[in-house]
Amino acid sequence: MYTLYIDTHYIKLQLVLFKNGKVEDEIIKSDGKHSSYLVSSLKLLLERNRVNFDDLDSIIVINGPGSFTGVRLGIVVAKMVGFCKGVPIKVLSYLQAVALKYDKEVMIGIKDKNGVFGGKFNNRHELVGDYFYINNKDINSYKDILIDDEVLLDKVYNFMLNKRSINPHVVKPIYVKKIEVDK
Amino acid sequence: MKDVYILAIESSCDETSVAIVKNGCDVVSLAINTQIDTHKKYGGVVPEIASRMHTEAITVVLEDCLDKAGMQIKDVDAIAVTYAPGLTGSLMVGVEAAKMLALIYNKPLIAVNHLIGHIYANNLEDKLEYPLLALIVSGGHTELLVMEDDYKFKKLGETLDDAIGEAYDKVARVIGLSYPGGPNIEKLALKGKHTYDLPKPVIDDTYDFSYSGLKSAVINLVHKESLRGNSIRKEDLAKSFQDVAIDELVRKVELAFNNTGLNTLVIAGGVSANKYLKEEMEKVCHKHNVKLLIPRLLYCTDNAAMIGAAAYPKYLKKEFSDYSLNVCSRVDIV
Repeated sequence: MYTLYIDTHYIKLQLVLFKNGKVEDEIIKSDGKHSSYLVSSLKLLLERNRVNFDDLDSIIVINGPGSFTGVRLGIVVAKMVGFCKGVPIKVLSYLQAVALKYDKEVMIGIKDKNGVFGGKFNNRHELVGDYFYINNKDINSYKDILIDDEVLLDKVYNFMLNKRSINPHVVKPIYVKKIEVDK
Repeated sequence: MKDVYILAIESSCDETSVAIVKNGCDVVSLAINTQIDTHKKYGGVVPEIASRMHTEAITVVLEDCLDKAGMQIKDVDAIAVTYAPGLTGSLMVGVEAAKMLALIYNKPLIAVNHLIGHIYANNLEDKLEYPLLALIVSGGHTELLVMEDDYKFKKLGETLDDAIGEAYDKVARVIGLSYPGGPNIEKLALKGKHTYDLPKPVIDDTYDFSYSGLKSAVINLVHKESLRGNSIRKEDLAKSFQDVAIDELVRKVELAFNNTGLNTLVIAGGVSANKYLKEEMEKVCHKHNVKLLIPRLLYCTDNAAMIGAAAYPKYLKKEFSDYSLNVCSRVDIV
């Protein structure tokens, strides 16, 4: 019973292999060069654990928010495995992944270079309202926001266990920041 | 020799395409998802939107291609992908998808230059025989090359500033035509007369091109006439612009015929879909008894079949890439 976890939402690239709900192995790269290392890191992770794509029971992929390109790369990798091998794909936002640590209503913020991505979650870890982005200059007006970017992998695994999988064709990132043409 | 099937992916700009090509010349199946209608609203390709749409379309287009071919990925011999030049974010989607297919099915990965793909699009129509002259005309490139053999190029000349396709798009915008500008200029020019006196780009005996002066002349003319309260005869301006732009290509190609003695001309790139260009090249090729190759419209515009064709010689030479393959937004053929 293997589950692959893929997180490429920001500078850190994290690939985790779960076996029967426990972390069996992981690869972390912190230089932001996901396009150079993502596929080769995945190959290494599977090979050194003697796991084939056919052995995977599910994929949990972080669908954002964060770097547009970074998130997309993780999503494309998940989609290809899902499409080619029929492995169920489950998506999770990084903000929700962080919020799983808190058993109370909480507003989580994760930083990037120019500001903070935020989201409010109830005590069942469900998103309340929409995700948002605050520029650094406006951050002081958000007193309740908890800046935290640490995820507990066992919480993620257990939370996702009974979540429904998504057809690979419709798996896509969440985009929170507006792009120039949308402004 | 055993038949070689290559599954190819193209995502360098605003088309997501997947093809299966046999032996570099027979298209087994080709699927294309174009984003033109989306980008039309913005007057040109928005790179971030293009990347998003490639991400959404990639498995759908792959499935479409496989269904049309009646094949499975395990049946192909290699995976090919456009890695350069193009929009970085768009290229990344195709390259990452191709790397994953290569990994999942343990197939060799072949990186293909998009422009070389456009040249090899002609191999889908008629076997390329070397040496030949290759004229690349697209939104990002205007180059004249001698192709001595597979992947052996010698550059004769290139644009010193704007590419011809870029000039078409900018002129189209100035006279109020929607994206994509090239085909709209061509349509409008059919109804016009050559009445505007526009400067010829480069009057010399090199093989280099220049389109920024011609483009600026059109912009200045439109601006001046607007200040004077005069309206522009758009059809005539489109015709005048097109005549000068294409004549420049014809003149340089003719110079190359005279100096090199080569008797095959291959035209490649998105602008090769222009019918007026085709007619003028037919005339000059007929005059010099030169064989002209221009792909049909489907293979003139961005498509993965041309990438599969261009990957075949690399497959035969075992020129494979590893999983660290990265994209490159700008790259020269030579």
